[in-house]
Amino acid sequence: MKTNFKKIATDGVITQNPTLKLVLGTCPTLALTTMAMNGIYMGLAVTFVLICSNVLISLLRKLIPSQVRIPAFVLIIATFVTLVRLLLDKLLPDAYEVLGLYLPLIVVNCIILARAESFASKNGVIASATDGLFMGIGFTLALTLMGAFREILGAGAVFGITLWNFQIGFFSSSAGSFFTYALFIAIFSLVSSTISKSKRKKLSRLNGENLTAEV
Amino acid sequence: MADRLLKFSSSPHVKSPKTTRQIMIHVCIALMPAVIMGIVLFGGMAALILSLSLVSAVASEFVYLLICKKSFRQIAREFDFTSCVTGLLVGMSIGVNYPWYAPIFGSVFAIIVVKMIFGGTGKNLVNPAVTGRIFIFMSFQAMVGAWVIPNINSITGGQINSGATILGGLLDAKNPTFPTLSNWDLLLGTGLAGCIGETCKLALILGGIYLAVLGIINIGYPVIYVAVTGLFTVALNGFNFGYFLPAILSGGLMLGAIFMATDYTTTPNTTLGNIIYFVMLGLITAGLRQATHMEVVSFAILFMNLFVPLIDKFVLPNPFGYKKIKKAKGAK
Repeated sequence: MKTNFKKIATDGVITQNPTLKLVLGTCPTLALTTMAMNGIYMGLAVTFVLICSNVLISLLRKLIPSQVRIPAFVLIIATFVTLVRLLLDKLLPDAYEVLGLYLPLIVVNCIILARAESFASKNGVIASATDGLFMGIGFTLALTLMGAFREILGAGAVFGITLWNFQIGFFSSSAGSFFTYALFIAIFSLVSSTISKSKRKKLSRLNGENLTAEV
Repeated sequence: MADRLLKFSSSPHVKSPKTTRQIMIHVCIALMPAVIMGIVLFGGMAALILSLSLVSAVASEFVYLLICKKSFRQIAREFDFTSCVTGLLVGMSIGVNYPWYAPIFGSVFAIIVVKMIFGGTGKNLVNPAVTGRIFIFMSFQAMVGAWVIPNINSITGGQINSGATILGGLLDAKNPTFPTLSNWDLLLGTGLAGCIGETCKLALILGGIYLAVLGIINIGYPVIYVAVTGLFTVALNGFNFGYFLPAILSGGLMLGAIFMATDYTTTPNTTLGNIIYFVMLGLITAGLRQATHMEVVSFAILFMNLFVPLIDKFVLPNPFGYKKIKKAKGAK
């Protein structure tokens, strides 16, 4: 079986972006996007866990009986989350402090469990690792962009560098995080639907079909 | 086509001479006494804030429609004055010591995000003016601090140091400080700290009576809201009726009850539904005031607006000609 790496990559970052398209892992997204740097920390931690757990689950996919696969997945994920926690505590104590409770909660993060269930337990090792990498990149990008948006408007800064002394407090409140999330999903859907429409138009022109009659 | 004999049209066959534009112009007129009193009490800054919020509300609606590729002439022809009302209400519901850009942000948020994105007039889920006020409150409150005392007849004690209105002191359970203001001052807004449009209750009540006489709002509903709020405050404070008048005459209750809660779009369709809606508003307002020592009318209205679809789902209007079939006694 030949793996389509290009499709895995576009799926992870765009067409199945875990945050903006599948709406998974909303809890850390809503809570941690007050600053752009938080998004990067959280994204990298999740990416690491995602790659490692995908690889291990993919390796063990023929050994794990399907009746007990969820506990087995959780066990594997929890192992890597513990590893990340200990590493961050030692190497980046700031990040450990900021992420706080949301770091151990990666264990029950929907994105990781969803990828384990729907991808890693059905595909080969290299494909699973690529999937983990690009899903992680998609998650990191979404969180960082949302964090930057909220930080610029809510605190007048980006990545901790003050831009101007002007704040709209709404965007750093929790109501603002729901609002920002909805706004990003709306913009993302608008852009992706426009792109796919224009692609379909191009295809139909190539095939000499008339799509307008169909619509 | 005018010369066609047989006309086809879709369902609203019964027409009312009142158009949205006329109704909204009447609401603007009804707001005028309170606007004038606000400018008299708080001076030029109040006029500046009101005009900024009004202009930015109307301008943001025009800009949004221009982006949606409507021609300028068409927008002007279809313009109903709802965004004027929204802009005025946003301006009226904030204090004069807010920075000048606060009303602009509030109005733009109210019109673009709350109204236009959901499809324009009549399709908004929650009241734009209330949401705009909450947006300003959450964004700029920290910068502002206490409310400003008007420049006419200032009385010490009209402003409790940190609270929004006298309610904060009044509802403090351990040592309630009854205001040095009399109920007359509360009614007229003289010497009282607060928002531009909500200190002079008499002007607001006059506007409400104007609307009720024209049949634009049903005066019963605001009365239910105000009365329930007052009575529940009395009940929460050990049935001390000294609380009744200060409770209903302070804060943003009158402005909220007359002009914000009665918005057509965000109230239930049936009479019973409306009664449920306004009683719940009163209970929530009084209860939350007691619990938070803050002015919560706008939050209560926002909260209940979200319940309107639910109320409409369970309280259904009777179909025309429908009679209740009486159940026989003893039937189970």
